[in-house]
Amino acid sequence: MKERDLREQETGDKWEVQLRKGCLALAILAALWDRRRYGLEILRRLESDSNLIVSEGTIYPLLSRLKAQGLVHSEWVESDAGHPRKYYALTPAGKRRAIEMTGIWARFSSSMSQLLAPLVKENR
Amino acid sequence: MTTTGNAQQRIDAYLGRLRARLRGLEDEDIREIVEELRSHIMDKAATAGEASGEITSAGVDTALAALGSPEELASQYLTDNLLARAEVSRSPVQILRSLFRWASLSVAGLCVLLGCIAGYFFGAVFVLVALLKPLHPHTAGLWTFPNGIGDFELSFRLGFGSVPAGGRDLLGWWTIPIGMVGGCGLLMLTTHTAVWFMRQYRRSRILPQG
Repeated sequence: MKERDLREQETGDKWEVQLRKGCLALAILAALWDRRRYGLEILRRLESDSNLIVSEGTIYPLLSRLKAQGLVHSEWVESDAGHPRKYYALTPAGKRRAIEMTGIWARFSSSMSQLLAPLVKENR
Repeated sequence: MTTTGNAQQRIDAYLGRLRARLRGLEDEDIREIVEELRSHIMDKAATAGEASGEITSAGVDTALAALGSPEELASQYLTDNLLARAEVSRSPVQILRSLFRWASLSVAGLCVLLGCIAGYFFGAVFVLVALLKPLHPHTAGLWTFPNGIGDFELSFRLGFGSVPAGGRDLLGWWTIPIGMVGGCGLLMLTTHTAVWFMRQYRRSRILPQG
């Protein structure tokens, strides 16, 4: 425990990593909102749309957990590349959860924005 | 699309190390994980390489470096998966399986595992005594009897054999409702506590990692 506290002090931007990590599950559900996608497609979408820099390995165990929780389901699809790809899509429970999380996020971010408004001016 | 021999070797070596660390999961799950990552590495290496789409060992190296070490990846799979499944199913078997996995990782996990085994054991004994009381009304239940050195010994008896001389049935017919309610309560409490601990553990592990 102590060791971890020390490490957190050493790297000042640890907080940013935690923030991103906490949002990752919602970001993945959101990336699957309009259609099914495979792992690398989800990664590319996260990189291009949301600036969430994700270490690539992290996404696969998380996808597997979302599947175990029944929020996504998966299927193997043959591709032109010569190997099949594992596509993920939201289940009805996953859609409900994504909407629920989005609501929590919206409330959270609007109250944070209010609170931070004076600091934003300073930042300019 | 072609793959050079050397590139293929690197992919197989990485996936072999991953597979070895995933032991403990179902065979089917391991196969899926390995195939999914193989497909990721091939796609990633093909885009990293030249326009020809050829998979070179340099392209594979880039893809593997971005994925992180197979050990780290495997550990995320094992912990996340087992704990998530235990949280969803809440069956004692699944919870004990997850705790065995956790116990192999840390002392905290071992403590929770031992506590959980004790909780399930006593919960099951309570229920069993309540069930056996109608069958063996004169011998099953919570008994006290002298242990020979002037002290009293407390004992759960399932009703097999005979009660030693001087024994006293503490609860009588109350054994049945108390055993049922207390036993089921203890089983549920154990499950809830184990899930709570696992959730705390997962939170503390997932968030701080870089």
